[in-house]
Amino acid sequence: MPQSATTANAAEPGSREPKPPAIAARGICKSFATQVLRNVDLRVAAGTIHGLVGENGAGKSTLAKIMVGLEQPDSGSLSLAGAPYLPRSASESIRAGVALCTQELSLIDDLSIADNLLLPASSAVRPKGRARIRRKLTHQCAMQLLARVGLDHVSPAVRVGRLSLAEKQLVEVARALATGAALLVLDEPTSALTAPQSDRLHEILREQANAGVAVIYVSHRLGDVLDVCDHISVLRDGEVRLTSSSDELSEAVLIREMAGVDADFEASERSTAAAAPVHLSVQELRTAELPHPISFECRWGEILGIAGLAGSGRTELLRAIFGLDKRLGGAVRLHVDGTRVELQSTRQAIRSGVGLVAEDRASDGVFRDQGLAFNVTVAGLRRIAGRVGRLIRSRETSAVRALVRELRVKSDGIDQPMRTLSGGNQQKAMLGRWLHCDAKLLLLDEPTRGVDVAAKLGIHEELVRLRDAGRSIVAVSSELDELASLCDRIIVLSNRKLVREFQRSEWRQEDVLAAAFSEYA
Amino acid sequence: MTAKPTDRIVRLFEDNLIFLSLIGIVAFFGLASDRFLSVTTLSTLLNQLPALTVLAIGMTLVLISGAIDLSVGSVLALCAGVIGGCMTLFGMPLPLAAGIGVLAGALAGLANGSLGAFLRLPIFIVTLGMLEVARGLAYIVTDSQTVYLGAKVQSFAVPISGIGVSASFLTALALVIAFEYLLRSTVFGRQIVAVGSNERAAEVSGIDPKRVRCTVLVISGALAGLGGLMNASYLGSADPNAGVGMELSAIAAAVIGGTSLMGGRGSVVGAFIGVLIVSVLQIGLAQIGITEPTKRVITGAVIILAVILDRWRADSR
Repeated sequence: MPQSATTANAAEPGSREPKPPAIAARGICKSFATQVLRNVDLRVAAGTIHGLVGENGAGKSTLAKIMVGLEQPDSGSLSLAGAPYLPRSASESIRAGVALCTQELSLIDDLSIADNLLLPASSAVRPKGRARIRRKLTHQCAMQLLARVGLDHVSPAVRVGRLSLAEKQLVEVARALATGAALLVLDEPTSALTAPQSDRLHEILREQANAGVAVIYVSHRLGDVLDVCDHISVLRDGEVRLTSSSDELSEAVLIREMAGVDADFEASERSTAAAAPVHLSVQELRTAELPHPISFECRWGEILGIAGLAGSGRTELLRAIFGLDKRLGGAVRLHVDGTRVELQSTRQAIRSGVGLVAEDRASDGVFRDQGLAFNVTVAGLRRIAGRVGRLIRSRETSAVRALVRELRVKSDGIDQPMRTLSGGNQQKAMLGRWLHCDAKLLLLDEPTRGVDVAAKLGIHEELVRLRDAGRSIVAVSSELDELASLCDRIIVLSNRKLVREFQRSEWRQEDVLAAAFSEYA
Repeated sequence: MTAKPTDRIVRLFEDNLIFLSLIGIVAFFGLASDRFLSVTTLSTLLNQLPALTVLAIGMTLVLISGAIDLSVGSVLALCAGVIGGCMTLFGMPLPLAAGIGVLAGALAGLANGSLGAFLRLPIFIVTLGMLEVARGLAYIVTDSQTVYLGAKVQSFAVPISGIGVSASFLTALALVIAFEYLLRSTVFGRQIVAVGSNERAAEVSGIDPKRVRCTVLVISGALAGLGGLMNASYLGSADPNAGVGMELSAIAAAVIGGTSLMGGRGSVVGAFIGVLIVSVLQIGLAQIGITEPTKRVITGAVIILAVILDRWRADSR
């Protein structure tokens, strides 16, 4: 642990008798498929705003979730105002006086704003000691809360589903305020807000802090964090690398700490694909989610990485190329054997040799109750069918067996239900699905998410092998190390804009991160 | 691959549980009633099955695709009325009238499918609306009267001498086999399962869920039209009140046969066995002197029991 954590907190305003911190975390560890938090210590004093920053997957959100009982730590302890605190659920944490505003909004679309505001047990909007809701009182309370967050023009009777994302975020803040919490945890509270709305939110947070509330503020927007927070902790790979007073920090320092000074971002020997002809060319592509036109190319036999923070438009870019999201402008072209194909739809993309492995394997990838063979052949059924769409089982069996061998998928036979396969093997089957279609261009969204370390290396090997066999890969990853070791070139998205391109020889992790943060200023 | 012999026996038992249940039920009634295991009873039983069988086939496909079709009972009556009208008013021969009847069913299915899939309305509600619309139309085309058709249509439902079952039953049986094959061994069958199993993943795999669901609803409508022919030929008349509540029997048969209401899993042959179980219970319980209300209680309990067994089987994997 860096010594600075304790020194920073020792220098609390007004050195009266040492008060216990509003919240203290000691030695928190948490693992999912991989270790997300390692021995995290954090102390936040009452009346201060504490920023948490780090790149994707550094563990910020998990730490925030542990503090409000949405996740339980594997080891370590928490204390709240000096007393042991181990919330098992969000309602327990609310009763203990801790409130969370999440990225994944937890409001209920079908209820009115007022009804949403009175959902938490300790909500000020809720009448004390009685079960019946008194409409008028609720309405008045809700109006006051909305006015505080700058939503005075919105009626509390409006259904939350009709609000914009920014308005929802503000209602979420209002709901947290309504609980009268002594500790507020905000995870990316400004991601959808305009600058004046963010400023308003920051004022509210300062008022809260002045009233003695402790605030934990998680954000990508480094400028905001530096402005608003009293102290800032940097998380990297699940560890607290630095805690310091924000006066002593700058954006450059934060980025350096997030990236790690000794970044093993080495450029290994790789024949550059610069000479190869262009395979995919994306020109001025726009969708509802990607308002700024995006243009780039991927060459034959190249692994092109797409870096960017979560929510920067990476997934949306791949979906738009693959024809899953409606395009508002621009073109996606494939260059195959001297001919040019203009991609319009998903079906056509698949026919032209493109495959997409989605980020969320459970919802957009696997058919969990179906067998391995079903999952592998589903996108290329014509390849195992005879005339009039009759499936030829022997063809399916031999095709799937060959792929299982090639990709080293571990299974008890090709009809084993997909849900019983490990994450790594499921992911290999997703690759197999597109190899079965003989896809020449693979669009991979977080190709190693949710797989263990060994399987991850296995998938990396496969990708390099596929590249060396002449296929092209466009890979999105939140892990810069992964992009660094795999890719020939990296493009960076920031806040839905394509901001930079790095050749293999010229990237440094710090620069890639700085680019990824650049549009959030 | 390397299961122990006992495991394989258990697996075999589990996989054929409903078939074994059917045998058990038949055996029970055979022992309980001396009239049950007779040629007459079996012939009666089999010859009243076809309409429900074809409805259950369509329902199974629809359920596997992750949708539901509540309109089939009414569409059956509508198509029977259309066939009756074509024959009595326009003097059409049976094959032509039957063709028009099936077409009418397919059109009802197309309406369900296009409203549900392409206008993104909930298919449950659309087909619930169609249940009323088709019933109303059935009354309109028959002028709320039972249209007597007589021997012209009955030939389809009369047992063929020598084999004891009707052409109608043989048609239904052939369709069971054909649609089981469609489901297991064709590209379209796989697409139905894929859409019902995980719609978003199907879309990423280049399958158009709307088109698949719409097609399945058209098939279900056409089969309900064929059910109308079977019903009219069984009764010798087109009855606008035919098939009331039959959509629920079809759903019950599909579910007893192991089809999941959540989509992605099911079997046409299973649904046929479900139809047999429901029908055997009806006839058998009547023969051992169970009253109508008690019969309904028992049939309902059997449906629930089937789902419990199915859940248990799915969890044991």
